[in-house]
Amino acid sequence: MSRNWARLPERGSPLALWLIRSIALYLGRPAARLLLYPITLYFLIAAGDARRSSRRYLRRALGREPGWPQLFRHIHWFSATILDRVYFLTGRLDHFQIEIVGGQAILDQLRSGRGCILLGSHLGSFEALRAVGASLPDFPIKILMNVEHNRALTRLFEALNPELARAIIPIGRPETLLAVQESVSRGCLIGALGDRVAQDDKTVRCQFFGRETAFPIGPILLAALMECPVVLCFGLYRGGNRYDVHFEKLAEKIALEPRRRQEQLGVWVQRYADRLEHYARLAPYNWFNFYDYWSEDAP
Amino acid sequence: MQPLSPFELEVARLLVDTLHLEDVKPEEIAPEEPLFGEGLGLDSIDALELALAISKTYGFQLRSDDKENRRVFASLRALSQHIQQQRVL
Repeated sequence: MSRNWARLPERGSPLALWLIRSIALYLGRPAARLLLYPITLYFLIAAGDARRSSRRYLRRALGREPGWPQLFRHIHWFSATILDRVYFLTGRLDHFQIEIVGGQAILDQLRSGRGCILLGSHLGSFEALRAVGASLPDFPIKILMNVEHNRALTRLFEALNPELARAIIPIGRPETLLAVQESVSRGCLIGALGDRVAQDDKTVRCQFFGRETAFPIGPILLAALMECPVVLCFGLYRGGNRYDVHFEKLAEKIALEPRRRQEQLGVWVQRYADRLEHYARLAPYNWFNFYDYWSEDAP
Repeated sequence: MQPLSPFELEVARLLVDTLHLEDVKPEEIAPEEPLFGEGLGLDSIDALELALAISKTYGFQLRSDDKENRRVFASLRALSQHIQQQRVL
């Protein structure tokens, strides 16, 4: 996939963040949700690039040409989850009706005392995972994040939940993943998102909605090196105040042979891409990668 | 530039083999050049993989909270010195 997501408005200005946060917390969810309609309309008209990528994606996910109502809904659901992120991060979970699907996968993992990679995506809301964490007595999690590319999100975490902000492990320094390995050996879950390629990421080409694009191999390679399982996690928005959080074991162990390493990594990343596509079909308006995902504009 | 010492060459081979750096020859790694970012251009996954290989080969763990890490990972020379001081195998 292309790397141009790093230029997207989701990185957000401090002003926009302050605005979202103030509206969410002082106005309350029902009133704030009314504001989403004009905001969505504004972005639908003004954000041409996002609209074009939405159309391209929806064409594949819905299997037909999307009209204005579908495009509107796509951006509306995106803005709704951004708003809800504020509530998830500040622990206001009573707003939501959350259904957990396949929760046994994560319970088994926690009971085993071994850590794992909790592999998510920009499909839906990874923050909905907070609700699962809050319902369990102990839910040790750290989140691997490319802080350079997610300054806005990191700032939001810091502003809303400093404790959670400390759970973020910034990718980039040589010793970063040594810390991750030590956490995993203590039974910690390591959250990572596997659907966006950052600068300098190693990638592999995968089929996604019938067309090839690049996915990062980082999370899978990390699990292979740490010899830990990979559990998938998708927090899908279902409209209103409903979220479904799906868990699914992707791999108990990722074994790589030195000679066939690249090929074997490719097989695992393709399995992730397949599951991502499956859930994207299940909840098509949850796809929040509003950029040229298949690099179709590239020369 | 000073040539690689025999031990630096050994570490350079370990590095090239572990990380499958196909277009890098061990004896051509500049000992004072940065390994990460610029220079050899390794990333944090490479660092983990290298740390695992070092622990297997030399019998000690590189730890994330070691204040020396910045220095240890700075170059082949610094890394080799650190291994020589810490190795138990």
